Amino acid sequence: MSRSVVITGMGCVSGLGMGVDASWQRIRRGEGAIRALDRPSPSGKPAWAVQGQAAWIDPDGLAAAASRLDLRRLGRLDPLSLYALLAAAEAVGQAGLAGSPALRESAIVLGCGSGGNATIDTAYERLFAREQAKVHPQTIPASMISAPASHVAMLLGIHGPTMVVASACASSAHALGEAMHMIRAGRADVVVAGGSEACLSLGSWVAWQSLGVVAPDTCRPFSQGRQGLSLGEGAAVVVLESEDHARARGAPVLGELAGYGATSDAADMTAPDRAGIEAAIRAAHRDAGAALDQPALISTHGTGTRLNDAVEAAAMREVYGAALDVCAVIATKSAHGHLIGGTGALEFVLGMKALAEGIAPPVLNHLGPDPECALPLVLEPRTIACDILVSNSFAFGGLNAVLIGRKRS
Amino acid sequence: MAMTADEVLAIVATEAGVEASALRPDATLVDLDISSLDVVSVLFELEDRFGVEIEPESIPPTSTIAQFVDHVMSISPR
Repeated sequence: MSRSVVITGMGCVSGLGMGVDASWQRIRRGEGAIRALDRPSPSGKPAWAVQGQAAWIDPDGLAAAASRLDLRRLGRLDPLSLYALLAAAEAVGQAGLAGSPALRESAIVLGCGSGGNATIDTAYERLFAREQAKVHPQTIPASMISAPASHVAMLLGIHGPTMVVASACASSAHALGEAMHMIRAGRADVVVAGGSEACLSLGSWVAWQSLGVVAPDTCRPFSQGRQGLSLGEGAAVVVLESEDHARARGAPVLGELAGYGATSDAADMTAPDRAGIEAAIRAAHRDAGAALDQPALISTHGTGTRLNDAVEAAAMREVYGAALDVCAVIATKSAHGHLIGGTGALEFVLGMKALAEGIAPPVLNHLGPDPECALPLVLEPRTIACDILVSNSFAFGGLNAVLIGRKRS
Repeated sequence: MAMTADEVLAIVATEAGVEASALRPDATLVDLDISSLDVVSVLFELEDRFGVEIEPESIPPTSTIAQFVDHVMSISPR
């Protein structure tokens, strides 16, 4: 009898493309998705358009993928829900659970940083810019932060515990970790877990820019000359399953979610705290029973902001010491941008793919070393021989979640 | 702005998520699984596009598509 938690399906959608295989092929070749974004405002006013660099999803590819799902009875969908639905359908399909009665008793835990921004923008634009008295009647159900969990439940016929957890940029890492504990506790045998974000609407975009954390050029994690993060959009979802349940039905086992460490800095709403980060990394290793000196693929939070990268690098050096130099350190936000609530799950999915394939994807847009970020960064695609993935997520408000994945043969 | 029956049907299909080909004149909203929230969404789009204000209470679930279209088209824009 084992309550080990294994991964039996993975799905994602992001600026890199539709699906895990397409995304992985691009990222392993060192291709990125951050590029010029020119998205019209709901009213078409040029001054209100979104303009800048972001990792955005090609609308034609999105529409083609969406047309393959039966979304008819789900009501109005914000992109936040659509991304989650696409990723969940892919993951459940790979797990061989599409249409299976086993899904009925399953659970859903998704992480989102904010609700349906585009839906809210459209409603407010009517009220404040056009002085119209009404907004679309489905504005609330389409934009509420829990909508993606409800929509995924409706599409897949899942009747077990279903919810969204929110912890800003760590939301979907917390979702995976809490889902793992649901299985360990025997509350569910199968959990559809991950996260989604659709933050490239005008209102969200301007708010992020106003905070002063968005790079005017592009995301350059741990690099000299880095100027901030690049936003991305999309979702990633995995099917987590108790090992016994997966083995009994002969499911493909893609890896194990072996450990989870979560801490709160209780210090500052935007600045990272080294002690809180260190505590989360150590807790994840303890939970997984993974030694700190074993070679690991480390998928950093690596946002490309001056502060995060320096503090994260210092925390990793403190925790791992000289053993850090036998690790391979990656930062995939340089390719898919920062998906806020969806980013932890996407980085975990790509990290597990890298672990399974034995190839580390490169950190992109690197201009040269920063003495404050002395890390064994992977700057060209290279082979790796690691058994574990450490995937870091550190959110505004000091909410930290670190996941440890283990390779399975 | 005057509306045509085809325009009304297109809005019903989009907002209620029903194939346009399924919108037979004698089918009722219940037959087509068109919920009260779907109806409210359809009326919102009609008001937006054509300036017609229609009370949702005036559309019972037993309405046929033909009755619905006739009712909508009988109401003058404000």
